[in-house]
Amino acid sequence: MADVTLSLGTLVTEIDSLVGSKVARVGTDGDSIDAILPTVVAEPTRASSVGQILGWASGRGVSVSVRGGGTKSGWGGPSGPIDVLLSTRAMNRVEVHRYSDLTATVQAGATLSKTNAVLAEHRQWLPLDPHNDEQATIGGIVATNDSGPRRHRHGAPRDLIIGMTLARVDGVIAKSGGIVVKNVAGYDLARLLTGSFGCLGVILSATFKLAPVAEASRTVLVELPKVDVCARYTADLIAHASTPTALEVSVPQGTMLVRFESVETVVISEATRAAALAEKAGATATVLVGDDELEAWRTHQAQVFVEGHTIVKLTVMPSELVSTLTWLEEEVRVRRLDYGLIGRVGLGVCYLRLQGAIAEQVSLILALRDRLPVGRGSAVIRQSNLELKKLIDTWGPIGDGFRIMRAVKQQFDPTGMLNPSHGPGGL
Amino acid sequence: MDQLFLLELEDIVGVDGVVRDQAELITYESDGLVSHRSRPGVAVLPETAEQVQGVVRLCHRSGVPFVARGQGTGLSAGALPHPKGVLIVMTRMNRVLDIDLANRRITVEPGVMNLDVTRRVSGDGYYYAPDPSSQSICSIGGNFAENSGGAHCLKYGFTVHHVLGAEAVLPDGEIVHLGGDALDSPGLDLLGVLVGSEGTLAVVTKVTLGLLRCPESVRTLLAAFDSTDSAGNAVSDIISAGIIPAAIEMMDRTTIRAAEAAVHPGFPDAEAVLIVELDGSETEVAALFEQIETVCSQNKGWGVQVARDEEQRGRIWMGRKAAFAAMGRITPSYYVQDGVIPRSTLPEVLRRIRELEQDSGLTIGNVFHAGDGNLHPLVCYDDGVEGQAELAERVASEILSYCLDVGGSLTGEHGIGADKACHMPKMFSENDLATMQLVRTAFDPGQLCNPDKLFPTPRLCGEVPGPYRPHPVEAAGLAERL
Repeated sequence: MADVTLSLGTLVTEIDSLVGSKVARVGTDGDSIDAILPTVVAEPTRASSVGQILGWASGRGVSVSVRGGGTKSGWGGPSGPIDVLLSTRAMNRVEVHRYSDLTATVQAGATLSKTNAVLAEHRQWLPLDPHNDEQATIGGIVATNDSGPRRHRHGAPRDLIIGMTLARVDGVIAKSGGIVVKNVAGYDLARLLTGSFGCLGVILSATFKLAPVAEASRTVLVELPKVDVCARYTADLIAHASTPTALEVSVPQGTMLVRFESVETVVISEATRAAALAEKAGATATVLVGDDELEAWRTHQAQVFVEGHTIVKLTVMPSELVSTLTWLEEEVRVRRLDYGLIGRVGLGVCYLRLQGAIAEQVSLILALRDRLPVGRGSAVIRQSNLELKKLIDTWGPIGDGFRIMRAVKQQFDPTGMLNPSHGPGGL
Repeated sequence: MDQLFLLELEDIVGVDGVVRDQAELITYESDGLVSHRSRPGVAVLPETAEQVQGVVRLCHRSGVPFVARGQGTGLSAGALPHPKGVLIVMTRMNRVLDIDLANRRITVEPGVMNLDVTRRVSGDGYYYAPDPSSQSICSIGGNFAENSGGAHCLKYGFTVHHVLGAEAVLPDGEIVHLGGDALDSPGLDLLGVLVGSEGTLAVVTKVTLGLLRCPESVRTLLAAFDSTDSAGNAVSDIISAGIIPAAIEMMDRTTIRAAEAAVHPGFPDAEAVLIVELDGSETEVAALFEQIETVCSQNKGWGVQVARDEEQRGRIWMGRKAAFAAMGRITPSYYVQDGVIPRSTLPEVLRRIRELEQDSGLTIGNVFHAGDGNLHPLVCYDDGVEGQAELAERVASEILSYCLDVGGSLTGEHGIGADKACHMPKMFSENDLATMQLVRTAFDPGQLCNPDKLFPTPRLCGEVPGPYRPHPVEAAGLAERL
């Protein structure tokens, strides 16, 4: 995309002199995304510098991709050429923790675990538990709307975000929302950028509503005799107005994890009741606490989050989860694929790990998409090797709303210079 | 309006779906904020999405502005008609299309009343969480446009957290489906922007909402305080203790008096009352309720009433939800604001409001969602006294500036509409507003969809509208405004 007459040195020098300090360097192999080597890596320390770099890149016709912790660089469609890789890692502070208001403003480059360590000083946290919180940054988590098991109670980033500062491709820095938990003034650009895979602007900082850290936690480990017991048991929990913070299933293990977080007396009584309901449904149940509980959650996540394997984010109607799991068991068997799936039972949001012949994986994903009409579910590829990415569309069908999504992208990034073809649907 | 255009409208929605009579159009002159009035060029009452599409296509082709309106209970003049435009009245699109309890979802047309959603599923133990005070008379389409909240959004969030999918007619007449029945449909979260866009991006024709299971236990407490400061401190202490109740509401002496006069909820004679509601499992509610009682007594709360049954709980909430309407008992007119502040600044801002009350000589009642920091100051005035309406408006604006001073917002749930559009530059920079306009331009390059709302324009903000003066027809008792 960049002018061929630009040399590497020129780009580095131009960025450094623009910003007024040494922020740019030549890209190295470790910076590659989808085997594409970025020409230059810039790691500014100030929001204003991000604006300057974007404004300059727009004028130059130079493409810019954004990276935080790099944990999701391979997500989304295959990358196009990357002239400048803009790293947010040098902007990594919790800017303000308004603990009396249960809100915090965090810079994009702060990791989730560091953020929560700071917030824990006042017994609060940003209630998100996506995979890899040690490396994943706030910017990346927001840009991908990533979340974990406790989405069941606390929601995803789009449910917690109350404000954002962003840099547009023309270098203009703008904000949306604010620092109060209730606010309907103006368009909600923070929500628009959440889950946009960085294709509309660069997230500089975000403000969230927080949650108190619960005093106690218990997890009920349920071993299912058959996967369809999951549906019956979940219906029982709902009928009893049980209030878990996470409600997960894992196949082919045939286990469920039901977590309760509150004060000690409450978690004991809720977990005891949830265990009794599981036994009544014909499953075996164990109430876990402390290290055993943590280990159960680690094992659960490890079923899916394996380096080098394909990971598909699968959403279904909650009532169709069990039939999907049964279908899947048969389909992976005939295709001789190794698989693992963990899912939010109450929400119908699952993560499917696949390993085996690429052609078979492709065929399975296409078959899944055939089962899921637009609006009733989706199968989006999160992580995969380049070969698979080139064989199959990352996103699957998006529906008739895509036209207006393209119009929004066109307004925010008319030349398509930001995270080229990386946004949803290839925006 | 152009006769040919009107005939085409009749072709689309039928003769009985078009209101052209000037006297009949008075009905639609304003929404709940009656100080803003504008008679529409014509009003249409479509019954299907295809009819809405037909009307919008025609407007698009003819360059005629259009405004969608539901029950007209909004408080920001967001549904104020355009004098040369079409008002699309959605009240006939009021069918419940699908109830899917297995997935805890309901799909409705926008004209369905908020409370009716809950009524349809409450027998099965479910409810729809957002509960604006007007929930028995406001419709889902308006809730969607304004991202309505309510007392219980402290724990359960706003409309945007409960809308899963929508069918919408874009300003060029195309129908699109955003979100869906399942979560996380791939693509940009345009649904998240559409909710709360105040009808400026599209006309929504179908909405899928998430339902919640009724909690096992609900407990409601009412406590009296000798000052709003003590009540405010109790709110801060509850939040600091790590408790997120379903609702924390505060009323001051003026609004307590009004509510008592109107609906007799049995509130104590106090400077302030707090209504705190907890919900969840039996054990959780019991455990946390004790902590709340302790916090209230530590902050010198007294006269604690705990609702014994659903009837008493209903009476407490009736007192709170009737507060706006009840103000008519103690003042001829009032001006309500909807500013939001960080919760911790509550005592400071309330002190400033009291000083303003003394300086201006106007009574200011306060009823608010204290847990969220969403204030509803009610500036009382008398139309009959020369200059008081203007003074009330200035006082109300001053309160908004206090909210912005402490990092708050112009509006927590009523929306910007036409009413507060000119205040937007106090909260957002030119760059912020220009960035929002990118979204507007993507959806509506011709700026025909609910124009002159939300964004400040020279036409809107160059002149200050005067206070409402009754129409001669109204003064003669021949027609009523509401």
